[in-house]
Amino acid sequence: MQQLLNGIFIGSIYALFAIGFTLVFGILDRLNLAHPSVFAASAFVGIELVARGGMSLWAALPVVFVFGAVLGLIIERLAFRPLKNRADAHFAGLISSIALAGMLIALLQWRYGPDTRRFPAGSFPDTRYEVAGAQVTLVQIVILAVSLTLMVGLTYMVTRTRLGRGMRAVAENPTAARVLGVNVDRVTATVFAISSALGAVAGVLFAINVNTAQLGMGIAIELKGLAVIIVGGMGSLPGALIGGLLLGLAEVFAVQYIGSSWRDVIAFGLLFIILLLRPQGLLGARKVREV
Amino acid sequence: MLAQYATTLTFIALGAIFAYSFYAVLIAGQLSLGQAGFASLAAFSAAALAPSAADVGDVPALLTAIVIGMGVGAAASIVLGLPTMHLRGVFLAIATLGFAEAVRVVLLNAEWTGGAQGLGVPRVLTVGMAWTALAVVAYWFWRMGGSRYGRALEAIREDELAARAMGIDVGRHRLAAFVTSGAVAGLYGVLFAYYVRLIAPSDFDFAAAVDGLVTAVLGGSTMFAGPILGSGFQTMIPELQRAVGIEAGWIRPFLASLLLLVVILFLPGGLTSFIPRRVRMPAATDDQGKDLAGRRHPAAGDAVVTLAALGKEYGGVHAVRGVDLEVRAGEVVGLIGPNGAGKTTLVNMISGLVPPSSGTATVLGTAIGRTPVHRIAAAGVSRTFQHSKLFDRLSALDNVLVGAHLVSRPTFLRRLLWLPSARRDERAALQQAARCLERVGLADVAGTRASALSYGDQRRLEIARALASDPSLLILDEPAAGMNHVEAERLSQLITSLARDGLTILFIEHNVGMVLRTCTRVVVLNFGEVIASGTPEQIAADPVVIEAYLGAAEPADVDPAAGSIAEGTAVDPTAGGPDAAAPDAVLNVRPAAAGTLEPPDTTPRDAT
Repeated sequence: MQQLLNGIFIGSIYALFAIGFTLVFGILDRLNLAHPSVFAASAFVGIELVARGGMSLWAALPVVFVFGAVLGLIIERLAFRPLKNRADAHFAGLISSIALAGMLIALLQWRYGPDTRRFPAGSFPDTRYEVAGAQVTLVQIVILAVSLTLMVGLTYMVTRTRLGRGMRAVAENPTAARVLGVNVDRVTATVFAISSALGAVAGVLFAINVNTAQLGMGIAIELKGLAVIIVGGMGSLPGALIGGLLLGLAEVFAVQYIGSSWRDVIAFGLLFIILLLRPQGLLGARKVREV
Repeated sequence: MLAQYATTLTFIALGAIFAYSFYAVLIAGQLSLGQAGFASLAAFSAAALAPSAADVGDVPALLTAIVIGMGVGAAASIVLGLPTMHLRGVFLAIATLGFAEAVRVVLLNAEWTGGAQGLGVPRVLTVGMAWTALAVVAYWFWRMGGSRYGRALEAIREDELAARAMGIDVGRHRLAAFVTSGAVAGLYGVLFAYYVRLIAPSDFDFAAAVDGLVTAVLGGSTMFAGPILGSGFQTMIPELQRAVGIEAGWIRPFLASLLLLVVILFLPGGLTSFIPRRVRMPAATDDQGKDLAGRRHPAAGDAVVTLAALGKEYGGVHAVRGVDLEVRAGEVVGLIGPNGAGKTTLVNMISGLVPPSSGTATVLGTAIGRTPVHRIAAAGVSRTFQHSKLFDRLSALDNVLVGAHLVSRPTFLRRLLWLPSARRDERAALQQAARCLERVGLADVAGTRASALSYGDQRRLEIARALASDPSLLILDEPAAGMNHVEAERLSQLITSLARDGLTILFIEHNVGMVLRTCTRVVVLNFGEVIASGTPEQIAADPVVIEAYLGAAEPADVDPAAGSIAEGTAVDPTAGGPDAAAPDAVLNVRPAAAGTLEPPDTTPRDAT
């Protein structure tokens, strides 16, 4: 039971991170490899807000959300918009976002140094609950609640609002969307902003969960994020949620029953099998081949 | 002097070799991140299996290790490639990345690799050996560039479907590129192991794979010198920074990333953009070289296409229903019909792009159904597409050379050995391509990129490309779309002259006047069914056809004045009843239906 809950908590963070990833891929067909660096940067910024700014943990979350959104706009403007009309936009976008991620990590190193950062002692309320014989902290419940709220909010926005309709139109056919009066550039920028804001919140939540932030934390979750969006289905939001939870659970149980050193083999083994049997992922629609 | 820079130079060579393993697949349009896994497997197997340098001497030990490493790399890439070659783009990248990570974790947990501590390997590699290996690899890719195989890979990168239609076996070519990549990655792994003294699984992690990819793209993934330039750039940046006194810490990675961003944003072709490209102009059509292997074409009157009750259904919608049709050698058959009548679906089935849902079809002795597109192309079918599907970043001439894939001989291996026969074969293919370009009137733009051509020229280039394979059956899908009447008239003459040479032609066209003037037989399709078939005279006078086009056969609906706007309208066949039509009458249709501004069909587009 304890393991199950732990798996769900960590899985919800993976899901939140992966949803930001898959949002950009699903709507804009671009893989934004600067996403993990946003994740890492926000963890540091979140710790700074709490440690130096004296903010409470909960007040820091919205600030980090906005911080992430601004980073997203910068990423879109610097790494993706200039490539818009290039034949090799796919490869070039990968590389330009890797370059931007490198710059961001270098800046973090300048500001915070190479060491691991922690929240100051006493930042977390130590309220604990017993659920069916398992220990749950208030912090963990908040992590789950924040992740779920953001994901539900995003789903509502994409399916119900005017902006969401614009996003789906751009995903179907950018040219047609433009002809019909959708401001494609603005929708694109918004998608990046939302995606990065989600990644940023995931970064802080992850830092809260393990109470550390490291420069390399983005790389570790990048692979997991990629695995999650493939397993769930590229571009599928509910798929990313399910994929994230699955991965969280698989990891926790793998550590429990097989040994911690084999944890990552489970994740990638799962990924590989899904790719072979169902390349479109669990919930992904098979894209009609565009020819 | 050299010794001072030996380490840097060796790392440039190693980085370039690793980048070549990415280049090998990028050139075919594949994005793979599994190379670190291949390199890792190769390095550890070679270190464990190769004889010790102390026993057999440095060079023999290294050579044995290289053979083992490249073999392991190639074998691993076959194992990974067979199930994943149907994946595209990012999916392939992530699948291969997953493989590499799994390899890393397995090696980390294995006994014989020393786990996280790694495996000690003697340092054998010198800067000279590293550059020799790099020279061999670079030579390989340089000679690949101008070969039939190299062109086929580029064609697959630019447009996979069009490459299939030119008779290229895409699956085999992609796998070959992937295996090359695996072998080169294996070479890198071994050389790296024999240089750094201690290898650990973490030397071949995700970051290493990304480094290799960045180096390859940075250098330029369309020209063989790219990886060397990319590696030189990547390795020299930290050296230069140190030389000008920039402290270690955050500034170095920041500047390096910034430079990478600038190069990617402002140099679309990578660093090789600085190298001027030589445009090969075809030697004028002196018929010195030997001709390409000609095909055996069916004799006039033999059945070329036989369709029996052919049908295609898209989720309940019958795009084509119960079509019986026979096309005989030497015929010029025009396929007309209103938008959404199923014309394109029909030719897609004939050329093997779309499997029929019912009925049978035989094209040039090949049964349609499960036969892959490239086999049907090999049987002698060549086609153009409704929306031009050219190889955009290749020159006009190279586009046509790819078209000649089926009738030219493979030249790569012979080019590696500089055999004169390879040069002769290449020249023969060039002449064939030049002839085809000349035939459609594009000889003077041979060196221009396909994407830079005007719309009309692109349409004609597609025809030249289709002609280059010396086909028995040529299928043209709306070749005159977007052409003005002068261009359309020239196209009509071209088709007539091709038919005189014995080519069988099937073409879809909305310019009815042109169809009636050019074809020996016209087939009219409506709602997926053949509603009429006959000589142009019969069709022009057929009341069913007129009704399909005009909606009703009432003379009042047709305004002769409006009709005369329609191209080629001479007589209004409905004015005096069917029998009154003059033998050379052309069908009078609404200008909107006959003009050249025809909007595209609204039928499902998933196969055009």
